[in-house]
Amino acid sequence: MIYLDNAATTPPLESAFERAAREYRELYYNPSARYGGGFAVRKKIEEARKEILSVVADPALFELIFTSCGTEADNHAVFSCARRGNAVTSAGEHSAIERSFTELKNRGVEPRFAPLNLDGSVKIPELLSLVDDRTTLVSVVHVNNETGAINDIAEIARSVKRKNPRVIVHSDGVQAFGKLPFRLPKEVDLYSISAHKIGALKGTGALIKRKDLTLAPFIHGGGQEGGLRSGTENVLGILDFAYAAAERAACIADSYSRVAALRADMWDRLQKSEYHFFCASPEAGSPYILTLLAIDSRGEVLQRMLFDRGVCVGTGSACSSKERFSRVMRACGYAEEVLDGVLRVSFSPETTQEEVELAAREMISAAMEFKGKL
Amino acid sequence: MEKVVIIRYAEIHLKGKNRGYFEHVFSMNLEKSLKGIRHELHRTSGRWLVANFPEELADDVAARVSKVFGVHSYSIGYLVNSDLDTVYACAKLVAPREGTFKVVTHRGYKKYPLTSMEISAAIGGRLLSDFPALSVDVHDPEHTVYIDIRDGGSALVFGSFGEGAGGMPVGTSGKGLLMISGGIDSPVAGYMMAKRGLFVELLHFHSYPYTNEGAKEKVVELGRQLSQYTQVHLLRTVSVTHIQEEIHAKCKAEFNVTLLRRFMFRIAERIAKRVEAGCLVTGESLGQVASQTLEGMTSSNAVVTLPVLRPLVGFDKDEIIMRAKKIGTYDISVLPYEDCCTVFLPEFPATRPKLAAVEAEEQKLDVEALIEESLATVERIEL
Repeated sequence: MIYLDNAATTPPLESAFERAAREYRELYYNPSARYGGGFAVRKKIEEARKEILSVVADPALFELIFTSCGTEADNHAVFSCARRGNAVTSAGEHSAIERSFTELKNRGVEPRFAPLNLDGSVKIPELLSLVDDRTTLVSVVHVNNETGAINDIAEIARSVKRKNPRVIVHSDGVQAFGKLPFRLPKEVDLYSISAHKIGALKGTGALIKRKDLTLAPFIHGGGQEGGLRSGTENVLGILDFAYAAAERAACIADSYSRVAALRADMWDRLQKSEYHFFCASPEAGSPYILTLLAIDSRGEVLQRMLFDRGVCVGTGSACSSKERFSRVMRACGYAEEVLDGVLRVSFSPETTQEEVELAAREMISAAMEFKGKL
Repeated sequence: MEKVVIIRYAEIHLKGKNRGYFEHVFSMNLEKSLKGIRHELHRTSGRWLVANFPEELADDVAARVSKVFGVHSYSIGYLVNSDLDTVYACAKLVAPREGTFKVVTHRGYKKYPLTSMEISAAIGGRLLSDFPALSVDVHDPEHTVYIDIRDGGSALVFGSFGEGAGGMPVGTSGKGLLMISGGIDSPVAGYMMAKRGLFVELLHFHSYPYTNEGAKEKVVELGRQLSQYTQVHLLRTVSVTHIQEEIHAKCKAEFNVTLLRRFMFRIAERIAKRVEAGCLVTGESLGQVASQTLEGMTSSNAVVTLPVLRPLVGFDKDEIIMRAKKIGTYDISVLPYEDCCTVFLPEFPATRPKLAAVEAEEQKLDVEALIEESLATVERIEL
């Protein structure tokens, strides 16, 4: 199977998982236990915390709270920070943010959504115009998970704070962490990340926060994670997350340029083919995501045809009549007629040139076959 | 003092000289429904008794047998010695602690020293003195304690009746083939025909890769839910993908659905004959959607000779939904997996397709080859 749906989830990084599993077999104690075993596990968790944090942020300024997933980190950020007035986000967010913002309405906070450019990035002037002195939170996704567009969150955070310094700025960094060579600027207060997008286990995520920011607890209980997120820690998941993050961080710049070349090559092959593919990903976007519109086709059907041919890709549409079109792609401004054919090809540092060639060939032939039938 | 489940049957007593056969099938169906639970099934005068099961499973046993067609009602009760003290000890267990009640006694064993009335009076009197918050109301009691004195020195004591599934034992009316989609209607249609004693085999049409695995998985779940009533644990699936593609490519869009349904009926009939089913069953309801008009049904019926049973034909959607909820298929049916891709849905389907026009349109297709090709894709899924 040629796996090119890495933005959805990634196959496990063997070495990281092996190491984490080996250690977990010995260190099964409750990290809160007051005997030697407990302290040993606690120490491992703290090392993992530092390891992950240092990939993207300055440990002197930021700290990290482990969560069960990126969605939980997003929810924690939104519901801790947007407690009155209004909260501003983009129309291109993952549903973890979009649904949370919609819920804010029920809690007496006005959600505001800024429009997108065609490539999926947020229109910054429009976003800034939504920020006023009653704004408590601004949340903007770092890498749009449907198009790969990169929002300049450093610049956005600075501009927002120039307008209203009391605003807390959050960014969902799930598609950026471990992939973009990037350091968190001090103007970004909160940043969500997820383990399973970089080759670690599902079930672990983290919310990175500026140290001097006070958050309300999200899950109450035994007081773990500094009292902000109670519940016995997912030790295996945390260790695996740390080792996978370290592995990714070690060659983040190399992987970035290699994957960028793969993406360019794939687009080149598709563009030159007899089928009419349209590229919906910006040139300057994350190289890990290539979103295509297979005009006059159906993404979901193509996806299953490709799966049966040994190629796994993502899609942004469904054959079902309910929520047939991707909310985000629609917000980019595409017409419904082309949104049936959304395909999202997403790479990993393990993707090979040979896989790209084979996958491109199968994509073209599947799309042509589909076209022939209609 | 042994816990038992008492089962009374519906309609079988009407069956005159065939009664033995009906009772035999009913018995087998009860046995099937209790598969996996240790038990004994006894035929007694006019009823069945499930005994010797692990006591903690009494509710489970009752729930399972209540879904067997032919069961009119059931009760969870006790099988005990018929001496008055033991009977009373049981009566105390099933009796209420407050409110109005009466005791009803049937005395099948006529040599019992007390009459029915005397037994009722004796047990009722003792209950009254033990539970002062109780009072007797023989006309409209809130609770009733039933006592059956049986031949051989035993008695059944129980406190309430549960409603059974009713109908006729599955299998006593022959075999049919249900065309089951992932929707709300067809499972209900299958349920209703099984209730009249039909052994309902299942056939599902899919069009992978235009539809997904989720849609098929949903039908498997529906089949499982239905099997509690129909006791059929096999689902057949057939691909009509290529047929849909051919229709789409060669025929007028407005006839898409009508033409596809004719293919489905033909395929269903061939499979029905293979499995010796004597009829087809569908969930169609007159006028519900574009294809379920009189003209639509005429055009489908025209390609088959087996009778097509449409038990929901006169039902409103609300009535169907109510039944689907009752049999537990509704929540599965409304899961968001479509059984038809929007690619093939015409914007304006023909609601009154003229048979001649449909047949003319069908001339453009190699019907026989497409059917054969489709039949080669039959899969069997154990439920």
